[in-house]
Amino acid sequence: MIHVLIFLPLLFGFWVLLAPQQARAVGLFGSLLTLLLGLISFGGVLSGADYAYQTPLLREAGVYYAVAWDGVGAVLMLAVVIATFMALLAAHDVPPAMVGLSLLMESGLLGILAAQDLLLFYVFFEATLIPSLLMLGLFGGAGRVRALIKFAIFTLLGSLLMLAGILAARYLGGSPSFLLKDLLAHSLGGGAGMWAFAAFLVAFMVKTPLFPLHVWLPDFHAENHPSGLADVMGTLYKVGIFGLFRWALPLFPAAFAAFQPWLLALAALTALGAAWTAYAQTEWKRLLAYGALSHMGIGALGIFSGSAIGASGAIFLLAASAIYTGALFLFAGGLQRRFGTLELRPTTGLAKAAPALAALGLILVLAMVGLPGLSGFPGEFMNLLGSWQASPIWTFVAFLGVIAAAAYGLSAYQNLFHNAPGKPAADMDGVEWQWGTLAVLVILFMGVYPKLFTELIMPGAKAFAALLGGGQ
Amino acid sequence: MLLILIILLPLLGFAYLGLFGKSLKEPQPGILASALTGISFLLVLWGVLSGGASWQIKDWLPGIPFSLLLDHLSGYMGLVVTGIGFLIHVYAIGYMHGDEGFSRFFAYLNFFIAMMMTLVLAGSYPVMFIGWEGVGLASFLLIGFWYTVKKNADSARKAFITNRIGDLGFLLGMALLYGSFGTLSIPELRSAINGSYVLPMGLSLAGLLLFVGAVGKSAQVPLMVWLPDAMAGPTPVSALIHAATMVTAGVYLIARSSFLYVNLQDVSYIIALVGITTAAYGALSALGQWDIKKIVAYSTISQLGYMFLAVGVGAYWIAIFHVMTHAFYKALLFLASGSVIHSLDGEQDIRKMGGLKKYLPRTNLHGLAGALSLAGFPLLAGFWSKDAIITATLNYPFGGTGFYVAGLTVALLTAIYAMRWYALVFLGEYKGEGRPHESPAVMTVPNDVLALGAVFAGLLALPKPLWNLVEPYLAPALAHVEVHEMSLALEWGLITLSAVVALVGLYLGYAAFTRWALPKWYQTFQTWSEKAFYVDLVYNTLIVNPLKELAVLLDWLDKIFDSGYLLLASSSKWLAEQLSWVQAGYVRVYGALMALGLVVLLVWGVLR
Repeated sequence: MIHVLIFLPLLFGFWVLLAPQQARAVGLFGSLLTLLLGLISFGGVLSGADYAYQTPLLREAGVYYAVAWDGVGAVLMLAVVIATFMALLAAHDVPPAMVGLSLLMESGLLGILAAQDLLLFYVFFEATLIPSLLMLGLFGGAGRVRALIKFAIFTLLGSLLMLAGILAARYLGGSPSFLLKDLLAHSLGGGAGMWAFAAFLVAFMVKTPLFPLHVWLPDFHAENHPSGLADVMGTLYKVGIFGLFRWALPLFPAAFAAFQPWLLALAALTALGAAWTAYAQTEWKRLLAYGALSHMGIGALGIFSGSAIGASGAIFLLAASAIYTGALFLFAGGLQRRFGTLELRPTTGLAKAAPALAALGLILVLAMVGLPGLSGFPGEFMNLLGSWQASPIWTFVAFLGVIAAAAYGLSAYQNLFHNAPGKPAADMDGVEWQWGTLAVLVILFMGVYPKLFTELIMPGAKAFAALLGGGQ
Repeated sequence: MLLILIILLPLLGFAYLGLFGKSLKEPQPGILASALTGISFLLVLWGVLSGGASWQIKDWLPGIPFSLLLDHLSGYMGLVVTGIGFLIHVYAIGYMHGDEGFSRFFAYLNFFIAMMMTLVLAGSYPVMFIGWEGVGLASFLLIGFWYTVKKNADSARKAFITNRIGDLGFLLGMALLYGSFGTLSIPELRSAINGSYVLPMGLSLAGLLLFVGAVGKSAQVPLMVWLPDAMAGPTPVSALIHAATMVTAGVYLIARSSFLYVNLQDVSYIIALVGITTAAYGALSALGQWDIKKIVAYSTISQLGYMFLAVGVGAYWIAIFHVMTHAFYKALLFLASGSVIHSLDGEQDIRKMGGLKKYLPRTNLHGLAGALSLAGFPLLAGFWSKDAIITATLNYPFGGTGFYVAGLTVALLTAIYAMRWYALVFLGEYKGEGRPHESPAVMTVPNDVLALGAVFAGLLALPKPLWNLVEPYLAPALAHVEVHEMSLALEWGLITLSAVVALVGLYLGYAAFTRWALPKWYQTFQTWSEKAFYVDLVYNTLIVNPLKELAVLLDWLDKIFDSGYLLLASSSKWLAEQLSWVQAGYVRVYGALMALGLVVLLVWGVLR
């Protein structure tokens, strides 16, 4: 079952790439099937089923094909399958190849979440990059070359460093295999551990992203295909927080302890700086990129707090933002379709002509702003409780960003919908109703009943905190 | 179950009206929304009579339950919210007649009631915060209800962002409490704090942070700037949200947390200071306004200041008592203003009013009752509660006399501006054009009820040796503060003094603005007061604009930073060429080449 779930999108992806005539139908069917499998697996994990499986790939080298759904993996898996389905539902006017590449990415992402072997994780982590690069390179906007080079260089640099770190972690640490449990039992300490940790850190900071390794992100989103499909997949691919949680911090607790104060500071500065920078943006996708960056800063703060509740918050935030950030990019895609531009022009006054779109936009923006009752809040709040225990000062700095979030979120919203009506545009069409309803239902459910997810996340988060020697 | 129903009913009303309201004909959405609020009121009443209730979802967030609690305090407050809320819903059926957003308006009003009841019934701080932000959203939506006018949209955003500053305080305060006690449930915190001999370090900071939240929500100095602008919303909104209920949430928060504040004398002193400062600022600003609603808005700021003064000096029940009387007379003043505006087809400038007594006899009585109650006319509701606050300051051991004198002075100002409002609107000669007409019964009847409250609600809690029903009722839910009992002679002497002050103020207000020529210094004061002492200008110049500049600067820095990387990249390429022979043969060089090859391939593919 777990293998089918991981590789089913891959199959459909190749199908679409080889036979692009029916791309939309095949793509939707494939992602829907994956979504159903994902829901069944999630239900299984909830009721205690064990999907763990392992078999040696290279016995001598200690490389295993080892996959499992633990609580954290299952929650993020659910976010991936929902977001991918939502994005494919929304993006009805994209080149067929993008549909195929998105499905390939989905497989890679599920593999990243399921992998219990570090080398396997690395393979999935790298393999996912290729469709992502191709999507940007083949279907991006006018400035795609520059964006592509930046994205590629940052990512590859991080990956290469991580590969060195992986080898060091296993061989210098004396672990018999690349399996997570073996690596945890043979933790690499000392100076070598520091360097190896730093290597992991760079890779995951690129992929969170965190200041100062974030510069690829705004261009990546601004230059990707206007439909928003590539942005959703790109958002899902920002697995840095998960990588820190699953691998980097647990493998090197001693090195992490030495770096912690600096990391907290970096996370907090990212959260505040990005939120304030978002306010100055003049284009929707750049605004969303900086907004999302700010949230990842808050998530990283929770992870770096080393506390169970903070880490829970970070994982919850990651899952929630996959949906609401993704939906916002799709929403921006709809604006592009209507106006032919993503510029935040004042006095569009769209709410009169398009009240349903205004309502959808408001819910999405408020989820991003972190309004309680919507999915943005529980994660943010748990991060707050956790990071306060690690550093009240940096928590204060980071959460100054919530004021800025209200400023940039509502300003952008009002620029679009309020003030005197300008050029009229159509209200939501059938496709927008479909994905919009899905997004809103998920956002409401996660906001109103976070318990379903936190109960799955918490055991993993407690183990994480225990490994780092942290409190509750 | 009862408790969740109290919240769920108006919430369902919101969902239904939001989704399908367009298909309903005009009075239907209003009737539905009013009925749901009315049922909520009855449910609260039932809960109160049956002795309270509680409800929770365990581990809603890890270790944090979603808990609701109906005790004496939340029951009392819930009755005020749903009761006054019901009356204002009914009034709005008449007021919003003919508006294209009729059903949207009632959807938002119901959403507000649901969120306000979440706030009131919360048994833990995170749940209170849900309601707290929810009412903020409702306020945003309703201030900007007529969003096609830029000023309205801007006012809505200003309110939300200013409130967020306070909310950050609330959030951090919760984090601190959670860090110290490991729980955010109000009853658990209460027993933890009452049961500990040594209070944790930083508890004062937690109290201060929660108070920052209250300052934002209740428009206290220095975060008061959003409330006058909030008058951009339809008048029933001003009455419900920006006078009777939402803005008192800050007072409610402090009263709810009285077990905490009673231990924090330093923070309580700050609260009292902020309260009296706000009371004075609001009253001085109310004096010079020309907009019929803005006078009442600044008056609200001032009255909220009194409530904070009360909680600051430890007179928790009196603050909550004043919340109730204020809800009656202030809602009445706003709705009477609304009737005036309605009858003058949108005119809000009191210089174009006057003499409306003749045209709007019923509304005239409403306005009179509201203004006199606000002014503290002897025996009316506002008189008893405000006098109780001012008298309580005398018992305060840290500069009580100072607070007393200041409170009494502000009471004098209050009577003056209340009378100015009434006299310029209803007395003298009518100075406008058009023919004012009295409002329909759907608007006047709710005002009749509010007027009865504004006149008689004070009788619920009278000074010794007369009866007092409020204090003993609220006592189990509030912290107990030992007070030095005053002699009856002194107390009644002070009450007489209050009455004299109110009467003098009313006379001054009447004479000064209808008979006398105002002196030159008053003209200067008038200008400053009209501009609310230029606080907005100062904030914009010193804070808002620099922050906007900062955003642009940060964006610019980010771009510089970006270019720096490119520079670094090109220089390292040169470096790599020089040094490439050193590393030949290593796996990572091949890896890098592979990566670079991929990039080149892609670039080529793209450029082709």
